Amino acid sequence: MQLVQRRTYQEITALLLSGQLSGAWICGYPYVRYREHLQLLAVPIWLGKPLYRSYVIVDKQRAGESFDDLRGDIHAYSDPDSNSGFLVTTALLAEMGLRPPDFFSSFFYAYGHRNVVRAVSSGLAQSGSVDGYVYEVLREVEPALTEPTRVLRKSEWLGFPPIAAPAEPRDPEATELLTQALLRMDKDESGREILKMLRLDKFEREAPEMFDRIAHKFEQVQRLG
Amino acid sequence: MMPNRLWPTAWPISLKVPLLVACLMVAVSALVSERVLTRLAQMQQDNLQELTATYLDGLSSSLLPHVLREDVWEVFDILDRSRGRDVGLQPVRTVVANGDGRVLAASDPRWLPVKSALPASFRQQYLEGHGLRIAEDASRAYTRRIMVHQGREIGTIFAEIDIAPLLAERSEVLATLLITNMILTLGLATVGYFAVRRMLGPVRVLARHLDRGRKGEVEPIAEPLIRQAGGEFARLFRRYNAMAAAVNERRALADRLAEEEKLASLGRLTSGMAHEINNPLGGMLNAVDAMRRHGHQASVRERSMRLLEQGLKGIRDVVRAALMTYRNQSELRPISKADLDDLRLLIKPELRRKNLQLVWENNVGDEINVPASAVRQAALNLLLNACAAAPEGSAISVQITLDRGLFKLAVADCGPGLPDQFRSYLESANASSAPIQDNAGLGLWMIRRLADEIGGQIMVECPDTGGTVIRLCVPLQHEGLRDVA
Repeated sequence: MQLVQRRTYQEITALLLSGQLSGAWICGYPYVRYREHLQLLAVPIWLGKPLYRSYVIVDKQRAGESFDDLRGDIHAYSDPDSNSGFLVTTALLAEMGLRPPDFFSSFFYAYGHRNVVRAVSSGLAQSGSVDGYVYEVLREVEPALTEPTRVLRKSEWLGFPPIAAPAEPRDPEATELLTQALLRMDKDESGREILKMLRLDKFEREAPEMFDRIAHKFEQVQRLG
Repeated sequence: MMPNRLWPTAWPISLKVPLLVACLMVAVSALVSERVLTRLAQMQQDNLQELTATYLDGLSSSLLPHVLREDVWEVFDILDRSRGRDVGLQPVRTVVANGDGRVLAASDPRWLPVKSALPASFRQQYLEGHGLRIAEDASRAYTRRIMVHQGREIGTIFAEIDIAPLLAERSEVLATLLITNMILTLGLATVGYFAVRRMLGPVRVLARHLDRGRKGEVEPIAEPLIRQAGGEFARLFRRYNAMAAAVNERRALADRLAEEEKLASLGRLTSGMAHEINNPLGGMLNAVDAMRRHGHQASVRERSMRLLEQGLKGIRDVVRAALMTYRNQSELRPISKADLDDLRLLIKPELRRKNLQLVWENNVGDEINVPASAVRQAALNLLLNACAAAPEGSAISVQITLDRGLFKLAVADCGPGLPDQFRSYLESANASSAPIQDNAGLGLWMIRRLADEIGGQIMVECPDTGGTVIRLCVPLQHEGLRDVA
């Protein structure tokens, strides 16, 4: 077994689609984009559900409660292929008939949810789109990082980033082994330790339809062009 | 004109030399401090320039790909991480701008937000090119680095560096220098003061002896002091001692001469007195003879008795005048008009001998507060001098007055005039340097000494009409004399 890590989602998705990986923990957004080429192995269960939310965070000292107050901001996205760190906020804008440059004065990608929190807490960005699960875990393990920020908006519950494999893996046996390891993780001492570290309950098989909401957001954004 | 005592030229050399040493030390230390600080500032600037160049080189190479892609987060992340790195300097703010002069990221993004234009006031803080600008008053240094990719300017790094630690180091060096130099200067000035004082010790010994010599006896320098001084000063002291011996010898000679002179004048006076006594004696003996022979005649007896009485009175006056003059030199009673008038009796033989006329003008009353004995002796000597100087058959005149608290006695003769050397001797304020007299009749030394005793002053005039006028002026004493009278 070998663990592969890359800076952007795009790099991991490319490796996965090209069959170089037996499986990958990807975001719901690339999953719905390449659903026909991918299969779901398992979905993490967080707080009893296979769901999570996207947060829009701002400086703690900043006034305003409405997303509309963020007009003209410098906004930090996590990754152009991230659901919670890009798609959710962009879809929200698309609902208003706006593209990000129409609403924000400027935006950039921090390539990591933690970096988005750093960007907002340092003042580099005035607001940021971040994974709610990552934000909550950070709040627990690095309170100093999240302390200068607050959550302005929480999205609806959406499918938790799944573990996916190519629809036709090069080594089906390895993929199956990986699936079993994930699904049985909560039955094993070392597995439970990993889950505890990740603040997750367990991994479970879920139906691909669970990601339809994300697919819908993708379509909204696509429609605007 | 007397030099002002506060003026540096009037200061003692034992103060001036250490002061000069201290001043030179201060000047040298100021110069050294200035050189050290200038060199230190230069070194600090060179060091700062090297450090900033290294810092900017490192930043530039890691930033280049991200600036090229205008990746805001990565640029910020690199700036943010470099802040924690110890590179030997303290960047306060670092700003990266893109090719259009817009901010890509600043280490302090709240101050210069992403994509904002660089304010002109910000740009003005930086020199053109890669130079380092130092603003000491703000404890800041400003430098920048232009990033070039394939010949194209893609962005600029601006760094503002806190140089307070460097300035603090410089002021610490300055304080150390100042304190060290102050201690050194004070130490050297003190050592200089005592060294010069010690070196000048023999000069003070010499000055002390010269001062004492001016007041009276010239005292030779003791042998232990000469041995202690050593070298040039020992030779100087021995020469001084030789000179002192010569002066003392000369003074002894002058004293002896004065004594002889006094005896001579006494002799002269005695012979005059004998003559004065002898004159009436002839008449008196005749009267006695006449009485012996014709004593039975009342008229002869009467005439003889009158003659005897006149003669005896004359003798009494002469004896009294002589007694008054020579009774006691330290007699301090006030002088009276009669004391002065008596002097005429004493010089009468001299006047007669040279057939001189005396013009006597005494305008003072009784009880003049000047010491009787000294003034009479001085006046007598002046009169005798005038008689000696006056040609046969001429006249001498005496004028005694009181004028603004001064007793003035002027004696004039028609002689050939007082030679300059005697004149300057009489008029000098110091009687100790008696000239060896080639004219024993002048008695100038006595006059001068008497005048000194009573605080008098002597002025000599030689009018164009010839002769000499010698004036003795004695200040009246306001108390004391009457009591001892």
